[in-house]
Order: sequence, then C-alpha cells, then structure tokens
Amino acid sequence: MSEKHPLKIYGKPKLESSSLVVGWGEDAGRLGTKVIDYLNKRLGGKEFGEIEPADFFPLGGVSVEDDVAQFPESKFYWCPEKKLAVFKSNRPASEWHKFLNLVLDVAEHYCHAKELYTIGGMVSVAAHTSPRELLAVANSPEMREILIQYDLARGFDYETPPGQRPTLNSFLLWVARRRNIAAASLWVPIPFYLVAAEDPRAWRKTVEFLDRRFVLGIDFRDIDEDVSRQDEKIAGLRSRSSEVDSYIQKLESNLGLTEEENEKLVKEVEAFLRRRD
Amino acid sequence: MRHVEKRGAMGIRLGKKPEVENPVLIAGWPGIGNIGIIAVDTLRGMMRAEEFGEIEPWDFFYPKKVLIRNGELMDLGFPTSKFYFKRTEGKDLIFFIGEEQPAQAGRAYAEGKKAYQMANLVLDVALEFGCRRVYTSGAAVAPIHHTLIPKVWAVPNNESLVDEVRRYENTILMSDIEGRGGQGNITGLNGLLLGVAKRRGMEAICVMGEIPIYLQGLPLAYPKASKSVLEVLITALGIRIEMEGIDELVQSSESEIERLYEMFPSEIKEQLDKLKYVTYAKPTEPAPITEEDKRRILEDIDKFFRKEPKED
Repeated sequence: MSEKHPLKIYGKPKLESSSLVVGWGEDAGRLGTKVIDYLNKRLGGKEFGEIEPADFFPLGGVSVEDDVAQFPESKFYWCPEKKLAVFKSNRPASEWHKFLNLVLDVAEHYCHAKELYTIGGMVSVAAHTSPRELLAVANSPEMREILIQYDLARGFDYETPPGQRPTLNSFLLWVARRRNIAAASLWVPIPFYLVAAEDPRAWRKTVEFLDRRFVLGIDFRDIDEDVSRQDEKIAGLRSRSSEVDSYIQKLESNLGLTEEENEKLVKEVEAFLRRRD
Repeated sequence: MRHVEKRGAMGIRLGKKPEVENPVLIAGWPGIGNIGIIAVDTLRGMMRAEEFGEIEPWDFFYPKKVLIRNGELMDLGFPTSKFYFKRTEGKDLIFFIGEEQPAQAGRAYAEGKKAYQMANLVLDVALEFGCRRVYTSGAAVAPIHHTLIPKVWAVPNNESLVDEVRRYENTILMSDIEGRGGQGNITGLNGLLLGVAKRRGMEAICVMGEIPIYLQGLPLAYPKASKSVLEVLITALGIRIEMEGIDELVQSSESEIERLYEMFPSEIKEQLDKLKYVTYAKPTEPAPITEEDKRRILEDIDKFFRKEPKED
C-alpha cells in the first residue's frame, strides 16, 4: 500500500504576497484558536486544505472536552478580500519538523506568503483587569525591523531555563528561518487564573496588531462586548466571594499571592466561568 | 564538519573519516538510572575518544533550548547524537552517544519507525568503518539491595556469543535468572539496536547493570551499576582504564541514596533490608531467608512502588 501524502489541498486560494497567521489549540487563554476563529468569522475565511493527523497525533482514542469528543484538526483557510491566510491546528505530538515543514510548504507554494505570524499566550501573574501587553520575537533582522515599526521586539532576551522546552512557535520560527521565510511569534501574557478559560482582552490585543499590520478594518465592538461580559462575570464572583476579591485586589496592587492562594483563585475562577449561563 | 552525507531523508554529518580497523561500536542512550549512558560516556571520556560525526537531530527530536537576543531568535538547540572514535593497541573503538531517545511526546523510550530509523543510521556509520561487533548498555531492574554490588545481565543477539558472555565476570544470562526461562525484553534503543544489528548480520551484546527495584522510578542516576557494566566492557574489549572518575560518582550517589533510604517508612525499610539476602540468580546458594519470605518481600515492594520489574 502506498503512503498517502499528509497534505490535502482541495481549494486554490487566490493569494499573492500574503501573510499566514498560525494559531494552536491547547493555548493559554485559548488565544490561538480564538484569534483564528475570529479572523475567519470577520473576514469570511474559506477552508482550502488540511494536514492529515495520522503521522502526527497518537490517535489512540479521542479526548473529551466540555462533554464533547474531540479529534485533532490542522486546517488552512484564506480570506478572499485580504492578503491573508490562517492555519488552525492542534499541536502535533510527534514528527514536529515534518509537520512544520508542511505548514511552510503551504505558506510558500499555495499562499505565496511573504510573512508568517504565530500566536501564543504565556502565563502572567497580573490581574485580569490590567491592560494586556503584546510581545514579539522575529526570526530575522529584517522581520525585527518590521516589528520595531509597531514598537515590538525591542530588547527582549531569553534562554530556555533548565527542565523546560522551547515552544512549538519557536520551532516554527527556526524552521522558517532555515527556509528564508520571514516570521514572527506574537505573545500575550494571560493572567494565570484565565489560562484554562478564555481571555478576550488578549484576543483583542492580538487582533489589534493584525488589524494594523494588514489593514483589516476590524470593528472591535463584539470583542469589547466579550471583554465586558467576562469582567461582569468575574465582578459577580468577587462580590460573592470576599476571598477571591481579596486575591484579585492583591494582584491589582502588584502584590504576590501564596501558592495556596494561587491555586484557590484558579479553582474558583475556572469553576465559575465554566458554569453554563 | 567536512561534509554532510544523507541517508534517505535523514542526514548523517561526518567531520572526518577516522582511520580505524575492524572497530567495535559501543552505543548508549539514556534509560533507567542512566546506567548505560554513564558507563559508555565514562569509557569515551577516559579513552579520550575524538568526535567525528553526528546524526542530524531535527527529524528525531523536539528542540531542547531556544536562544533569543534583542527580540530575535538566534538559535535552537536539539539533543545530540554523536559519534566518536579511538584507535587503541588492541581493538579500535567507535562510540555513539545519544543524548535522548527519539521518543514521542511524554514517553521516555523510542519505539516504532523513528527508533528503527535511528538504529539503522547508527549501524550505517558503524558498517561504513568495518565494524562487525556492537555493545549496547542499559539497566536491569532487579530485587536487590543498593548496598550489594550490581551484577550485569548480558543479552547477545546470536547463540554463538553465549559462551563468550558466560566467561564475563559478574555477569548472568537471562536463563540464569530464576523463573525467567531465558525470556525477557529490553525496552528502547539500547535493546532495539541488538535486533537491528542481528538483521544486518552484526554481532551485538547488551550489558545491563542491575538497579534495585525500589530505585527504578526515582529521578536518580545509579552509577554503581554503570561501574559494573564498565568493568564488563573493559574486560570484553581488553582495555585498561582508571576507575577513579566513576568511583567518585558512585560515592556521591551512595550518600544520596542512603539519605533517601532513611526517609522510607520503617516497615518498608525492614522489608527492603531483606533484599540484602535474596538470591534470585541460579545456581542458588543457601539463603538465610525462605522462598516464602522472598515472595512476600517482592509483593510488598511491588505494592509500595506499584511497578513491575523490567529491563531497559
């Protein structure tokens, strides 16, 4: 039996000098998938291809999230009115280099992309009411020059600490650099108690940059409504639980919490936000 | 590195071609207690073997380190898989040291296609330089006490090697272990390389140092067993090295293990202390504890640590 090529392309995007935006599932604050879903919804994204999961995911069964069985997906979309394509995927569990090269094959040969951006959330100890920051890492001096125009990628040094591993976004940037594809990873710090929930402020911060960079003409009213809705929910929890309120107040005053307080806050907020309205 | 050679889609980089005659390959990857890798790497270091090549990592491994400077990704570091050589008056040696096994996310041991590809690449290089004999090394989880000198379990890939292995000191075959009937398995690349070597017509022997059953799940190296492995390897290879380096490692690990052991609950320690007298290898010598005692000790230990004995 001949091995099937894992890349399936079933539409021909009309894209020249475009950019590809990549978002992963299992991201802090669901940032990656939320931003990709939002761009697809606002810009009428059309699916044009996918990467078959068999080579990259264990497929020993299915995971269940929020009562529903999940299956790994790795799909490409393009936005007809804009020079933009997006890729939304679960994180592969093996053959990472091969997988990332397939993403770049599509960027290069089907999207004719000149730039690639990845989206990622990182854990922060700030309160949810504090403004979100956008951080960026470039994979080339030229890409860094572009980011500097947006006041990003300045003076940021980092080395993986012992016992930790680089992110998949760093891996993708490195593979892109070896293929001379300009790429940048965008990072938004997410309050630690929203990491497993959602963080609409972080979506907004990311979409704001993409809107400026690609002149997308986004109307932010709907995201702002999401931000207000979540603020109201957490305010409701604060008024019910003086303990939660005191923890968040401490964070708002730039004070740290004990490990026990951290855990309690995460548990309370997650349980409260998970409740169905 | 002087040139890059490609084998299929995977690459081997060879810096210079070592002038070696009928070399023996000694390969090691990390495993339980890092017993094999410590033995092989100690030997490599003591022999001052020279690096001459590596297997390109990116098709096998997830990166281990990123370096970002002033907002720009400068480099990504991967686990290394390197070749070294040493000419000696006796046998010439090629070493292969894999910093990690090419395992799937969340697993410690390589298996399936990736493991098979890695094993073949290692043997491609060995065969290119005329190698016909391979040694790998790992751990054998055994019902022993940490104050005892670990034995070495040896598994050859060919019946014709059994007599040779029997002559190694402090070494036992699977058939010497009570109740095993010569059966067992060796997990990961330290084992798989034996099979792939057999398939490619090469002689191979895996030498595994014993680690006490109660230490196998702890994130501790067990250099005491590496020393036993090293002693077998140097005898088999007919070479001499000073053991001081590994003796220091053994001493410091012994103190750490003793400190941990003191923290075990007294009833568990009481059971574990009986392992000082367990004889599980044939031929049995008169033992100060009964078969019933032995069965109960192993059951209790198993309950406490909830792990099955295994080799890697």
